[in-house]
Amino acid sequence: MKKFAEIVLKLRTAIVVTTVVVTLILGYFIKDLKINPDIFSYLPKNDPVVKLFDYIGEKYGGNYLAIVALETDDVFSKETIERVNQLTNEFKLVDGVSYVTSLTNILDIKKGEDGIEIGKLIDEYNLPQTDEELKKLKSYTLSKDIYRGRLVSPDSKVTLIICRLREDVNKIEVARQLKEIVKKMNLKAKVHYSGLPFQFLDLTEIILNDLKFLVPIVSLLIIISLFFSFRSLRGVLLPMVSVLISTIWTLGIMSILRVPLTVISDIIPVILVAVGTAYSIHVVSKFDEELSSGEDKIKRAQSALNEVGVPVILAGVTTIAGFISFVFGSYLTAISQFGIFSSLGILFALIISLTFTPSVLSLSSPKRKMITLSENFSKKNGVARFMDKIGEWVLTNEKAVIVCATIVVVLCFIGIPKIERRVDMLDYFRPKNPIRITEEMMQKKFGGSVPVQILVKGDIQDPSVLKQMKKIEDFLKTQDNVHNPQSVADLIEEMNDVMDEGRMIPDSRDKVSNLWFLLEGEDIMSQLVNPEKTEAVIQATLGSVDTKRGRKLIKSIDDYIKKINDPSVTFIQAGIPMIYRNLDDSIINSQIRSLIIALILVFISLVFLSHSITGGLIGLTPIVFTLMVIFGFMGFAKIPLDIATVLVGSISIGIGIDYSIHCVSRFRKEFEKSSSELEALDKTLETTGKAILINVLTVTMGFLVLVLAELVPLRRFGILVAITMVSSGIGAITLLPAIILFSKAGFIGDFSRFINGAKNV
Amino acid sequence: MKKNIPFFMIVGLLLLANIKVLAQEKIFNANEILSKVDDVVNAPKDQTIKLKLILIDKEGKEEVRELIMFQKGSEKRVVKFISPASQKGIAFLSLPDDIMYLYLPAFKKTRRIASHIKNTKFAGTDFTYEDMEAKKYSEKYIPELLKKDESHYILQLKPKDGVKTDYSKLIVWVRADNFYPTRIEFYDKSNNLYKVMTREKIEKVGGYWISKESEMEDLKAKHKTKMIVVDIKFDSNLSDEIFTERYLSR
Repeated sequence: MKKFAEIVLKLRTAIVVTTVVVTLILGYFIKDLKINPDIFSYLPKNDPVVKLFDYIGEKYGGNYLAIVALETDDVFSKETIERVNQLTNEFKLVDGVSYVTSLTNILDIKKGEDGIEIGKLIDEYNLPQTDEELKKLKSYTLSKDIYRGRLVSPDSKVTLIICRLREDVNKIEVARQLKEIVKKMNLKAKVHYSGLPFQFLDLTEIILNDLKFLVPIVSLLIIISLFFSFRSLRGVLLPMVSVLISTIWTLGIMSILRVPLTVISDIIPVILVAVGTAYSIHVVSKFDEELSSGEDKIKRAQSALNEVGVPVILAGVTTIAGFISFVFGSYLTAISQFGIFSSLGILFALIISLTFTPSVLSLSSPKRKMITLSENFSKKNGVARFMDKIGEWVLTNEKAVIVCATIVVVLCFIGIPKIERRVDMLDYFRPKNPIRITEEMMQKKFGGSVPVQILVKGDIQDPSVLKQMKKIEDFLKTQDNVHNPQSVADLIEEMNDVMDEGRMIPDSRDKVSNLWFLLEGEDIMSQLVNPEKTEAVIQATLGSVDTKRGRKLIKSIDDYIKKINDPSVTFIQAGIPMIYRNLDDSIINSQIRSLIIALILVFISLVFLSHSITGGLIGLTPIVFTLMVIFGFMGFAKIPLDIATVLVGSISIGIGIDYSIHCVSRFRKEFEKSSSELEALDKTLETTGKAILINVLTVTMGFLVLVLAELVPLRRFGILVAITMVSSGIGAITLLPAIILFSKAGFIGDFSRFINGAKNV
Repeated sequence: MKKNIPFFMIVGLLLLANIKVLAQEKIFNANEILSKVDDVVNAPKDQTIKLKLILIDKEGKEEVRELIMFQKGSEKRVVKFISPASQKGIAFLSLPDDIMYLYLPAFKKTRRIASHIKNTKFAGTDFTYEDMEAKKYSEKYIPELLKKDESHYILQLKPKDGVKTDYSKLIVWVRADNFYPTRIEFYDKSNNLYKVMTREKIEKVGGYWISKESEMEDLKAKHKTKMIVVDIKFDSNLSDEIFTERYLSR
């Protein structure tokens, strides 16, 4: 460390210049940083379920539907139909839109007085004008299952314009263009935007707004609270600047590597601000402590670095251990990316606090000395007295502390099974968000928009295959929450009906291919059958994506498919429910895996620090306690495990462990010097304990700001990390000493040398 | 149709008298050029054409269909599919005033097809029913001469008021020597080029100019349809009986 400090200070000018230059360069690249809220793009491309879903998307015009819903008193009005027609035509021209389906362009098969019509429901060159025409259109449209509840709500108050987006396009950009087209039209009708592309668009805006709004607030709060603790502007600004630099570096590198910010990694800047400041604070604080030694600035910086270097590195490394646990074997790419870049950010914060910060300190001339930790404590202010009290109380009631903690743990344990899991993207929006309101309306009036798909392989023009497809559709209709199953079999049935042969699949292949011929080239065909007619897809929608119900549906569909014993055709289930199921499994798996990895890494660091296995185990107790509290709280407070809250466990291990490390190492140092364990504990709590308290308050406040976020996972994340901080802080200053005293563990020192014991004090 | 015959004959005579020289000498205005185009395209009294349709999707996969087309004048037409086997015998009959019948052999039934489906694709090709209409450009469009080079007139056609069409404009390349349109660009409603038709192998058969190979490409769908003339007969005095519902089922 000494050598390192020497080198740093020798190169101090170069370090400052390099840091500034690198920051400017990387900062420039941040302008290209993209936001990718498409949770489906976080899925691993090699998962068979994802592969199948992508395959269907590519082959059948895209899985992503951008739906514009117009709501009026009655959509069958001259004005609304005209508008629908205009929008349909304009949407069709947007690059990236593969198909548009609306009232004014949907295929209609009907028997009329003057023959059959295989045309459009509404002739766009001859839109209905008179009330009578509109009335006729209304009653006809509502009489057909393929329109009612699909394109028009049964109460005829809402009509949909459905755009299918190609797989290879930027869906957010297309959604933005569609929205602009609608806005330019100044519609009288109320407009709702539904479907994933519009949700992605809104999410992007929400993420950006949250970042722009929250990061400054978090920073400001931390600055203020640090200022009140240390009363030195520089002592506060320097840590903030170093965190800012590490944030710029991290985001800049993400941008260069073309890694977009996700719903998960948007937390990184907040985490860096909340966590990263501590490293520089230690350096600055120690630097000012050395002020009294009268040595010159370079020497002081050198010795400050020499002394705090190791603890700061250790604290940083354990925190990184918590974050890096996401990198290994994570199902979602976004989570492993989060692991990589948050670790990288913390590493940067660490490096900067050990190089840039001391260099700046040695170059600047402080006008006013910072109130150092030790000075602060020597004043015996309220906080210090409070810590004394805690020390005494713990010492005299160590068993009570342990019992209380056990009770809390047991209570929390009851809560753990109550934890819900959510993978539904809608859950990211607050209940009052227009997206949520729209989706509720869509669920009520159109049966939802979550696609359920069944891929059919076989000779699709074979009547027996078509009949089997129809049976599956009928089966789907009997399933709870499943709506609007549709396949080419329905079209063939309808065509058969207009040929006066009844609404059924004809018996001969010739008849099927005759009917088929007339449908060929229709937009809808390429969304339902491949050009070779060897593969088709049955599409349906699901009302909700409740995980339990989803699992039940997947199973009953699979069971049904298995029972079909026809060698000429195979059915394969696909769709969002299956992806959500895998996502759900992965959340549990990555929760367990990342917790285990993080615990092991932290345990190793603790063993390394205390040179004792017992020490490692005891050091872990506040963390295990905290984990129980978090998960218990999640169970009772109905905060679900989702792709953001799944991170909290490992992050709290990484952040919370610092308290244990500081406490244990201080206690050991004081133990050697003290005449009783009480004195050692008192000293520890007065110094490190108080530092922990300040840190807990600061960081908690920082994370609580996230409650203001528009993005729900961010809010949940904020609450949970705040609880983590409080709980692990309290755990470290009460439970940890209590256990040490109770166990008289040998790694601290020889307890037997205090013959009378501290109890009698 | 009848009133066009003298025009055709004039054109025919001119062609015989080496129209090339004459055409270059006389400067035609846009309306004259367009009506000459109409005359050339609609010249035959009747025609029997055996066609091969090749549908080519964006991956280059081809699908072949064969059909035979009988046409009398410009408004009566029968289209019968010959192959593939699954489509053999499917037939359409188009009569004046947008009346159209369909015969499905597997059902042995004829059904009238409603008329307002102009922008629907015809039988999986890139031609819409509108493109398939035996039409006179000059009735629907107002021409403007954009350019004339050595071999072609380039016309811009914009739809007349009240004409229902999917296109905002067409750009037509017209051969200067025989007024046969060789390339037509179709622009959609927001003025983007989205379909291109090219006519090749323009030959004179029995006194009429005909393109033996034409192609329609949908640029947005990246789908192409090639139309190859396999056999052609002109003016064989097709009986009116062919253009009846009853004949469809034969």
